[in-house]
Amino acid sequence: MLADLVQNTLDGLAAGSAYALLAVGFTLIFGVLRRVNLCYGPAIMLGCYAATFVHLSFGAGLLVLALVCVLASVLAGGYVERLCFAPHRKGSGIAAMVASFALWMQLEEVAILALPKHLYPFPALYDGKPIDLAGFTIRVEALVMLGAASVVCAALWWVLYRTRFGIAARAVIDSPLAAELSGISVPRVSMGVFALASAIGGLAGFLVSASFEQVTPMLGMWSTFKGLLAMMLGGLGSLPGAVAGALVLGLVEAHSQWFLGPQLRDLLAFLMLFMLLAIGPRWMTTR
Amino acid sequence: MDDYAVGVLTNIGLFGFLAISAYLLLLAGEMSFGQQAFFGVGAYSGGMLTAMGGWPLPLAVVAAMLLGALAALMVALPTLRLRGLYFAMATLAAAEMARIGFELLHWQVELEGEQTGPDGTQGFRGIRWVLENGIEPGAYLAIIWLVLAMVVGVVIALERTRLGATLRGVGEDPELAAALGVDVTRFKLGVAAAAGALAALGGVLYAHHNTYVEPRNFDIMLGVHSLAYALIGGLGTVFGPLLGVLVDIGLLEGSRVFQGYRMIVFGGLVALLLVFRPRGLLDERTVIWLRRRLSSLTPWR
Repeated sequence: MLADLVQNTLDGLAAGSAYALLAVGFTLIFGVLRRVNLCYGPAIMLGCYAATFVHLSFGAGLLVLALVCVLASVLAGGYVERLCFAPHRKGSGIAAMVASFALWMQLEEVAILALPKHLYPFPALYDGKPIDLAGFTIRVEALVMLGAASVVCAALWWVLYRTRFGIAARAVIDSPLAAELSGISVPRVSMGVFALASAIGGLAGFLVSASFEQVTPMLGMWSTFKGLLAMMLGGLGSLPGAVAGALVLGLVEAHSQWFLGPQLRDLLAFLMLFMLLAIGPRWMTTR
Repeated sequence: MDDYAVGVLTNIGLFGFLAISAYLLLLAGEMSFGQQAFFGVGAYSGGMLTAMGGWPLPLAVVAAMLLGALAALMVALPTLRLRGLYFAMATLAAAEMARIGFELLHWQVELEGEQTGPDGTQGFRGIRWVLENGIEPGAYLAIIWLVLAMVVGVVIALERTRLGATLRGVGEDPELAAALGVDVTRFKLGVAAAAGALAALGGVLYAHHNTYVEPRNFDIMLGVHSLAYALIGGLGTVFGPLLGVLVDIGLLEGSRVFQGYRMIVFGGLVALLLVFRPRGLLDERTVIWLRRRLSSLTPWR
């Protein structure tokens, strides 16, 4: 019993760190645009498909694949930004959201046309056996994921608080109007933040694909759902909140999967979000 | 008409109910990601009443609509205080809970030597009231479009009354509407209930057209599609959402020209369309212009 709890907690933290990367990307985009990008996950999925394509054609190694994944995600993200968000900067949030959904459908079909099988193998992040520590199995992939999430969060903090670009980005997040009046080019900063978020998403997609050793078109919806859930649980718009929400989501999922099964796991995750929104503290739902 | 055309036209009618349901909420200023849940509630409850309970379809339709309205009220009551994105996410969470609820629903009875009823992820087979009562696909199509025409008629009539003006007023500026004496929360609850009933109506008719439903039919994709239909077609008139359905199912799925590329075409078209017409093809301005043109063409007015 206790052993199960500890093992589940370890697994939950590993899943939570993947969610954290996704949620941080989502939050960055929401921060500068005040819009939800439903196509965030599908752009990542397309990046992973590009990497799979490179792997199948040239047999490239992991490092190259990671690079391809990140680059292709940034390109796909840029396409989404140009078509869905740049034109609606001052206009309707609903139109931008529906447009991003339309591109989701599009990217999914592009991926399926390029690689039509339902499932493709992805090279494994780590081939060896999991580490055995005092009776608990620790997957090396999980450690890499946790490490990557920590490094990305630290790097992001540095970028946001120690560079000129970061100051501009935070100014835009705080108040686009004030940022514009003080001479910051809001469209350019938004574009930069969007690219940064897509790169983080691409890295998350690569890590997830390589630790599950497969890619499917479902990766798009999965990333959007998990990232969105974690971001909303963390109170929307706060980066530390997004990380906390992601870890909570990972832990709750790992424990409920073990004790209740996969269907009730998902039910519980959505119930948690619903209750938080319906009866949670007011400050969490008025940002 | 060949079977294929009947099938496409039937689907246009069926998803038309869902699109109008999303449209009503959008007019009231709320974006729901969860109307598919009430479509599902209608499909499951209506199907259970006719296939397991032996009810006639018209009675089952009424019951399903009441249940849909009730379910919509249950979701709307705790969530309507939320704004914009938070409301969208809360309705999404509720709808996914409903979908998982359908997955967990196992309730079968033995009828004429066959197990009938919802069987979790295996779906719910044997909703055959329409077949058993000798209604041909063409006749069922006519029934669906007749009901849809009635709904459209009611919405048009309501939009011409004070109620319609209030609806758009609440959507445009809730504070102003409240200052003018409208009880915004109660009004929105009413709209949510009506939209839920409408979605359930579409759902029960859908279940009896397909004779088979499964939880996956009512996932988030259906919900976002219905939102997209309303927004592509336009928020100026109730014909807008129907135009949206027509563009997607009629033009792209029905024509078979774009087979394999349907979503690439559709996705790109929608995104581009929204750049130039963020409130859809038939937006308010276009509708007013069209009305003027029409009334200038009719000399007896």
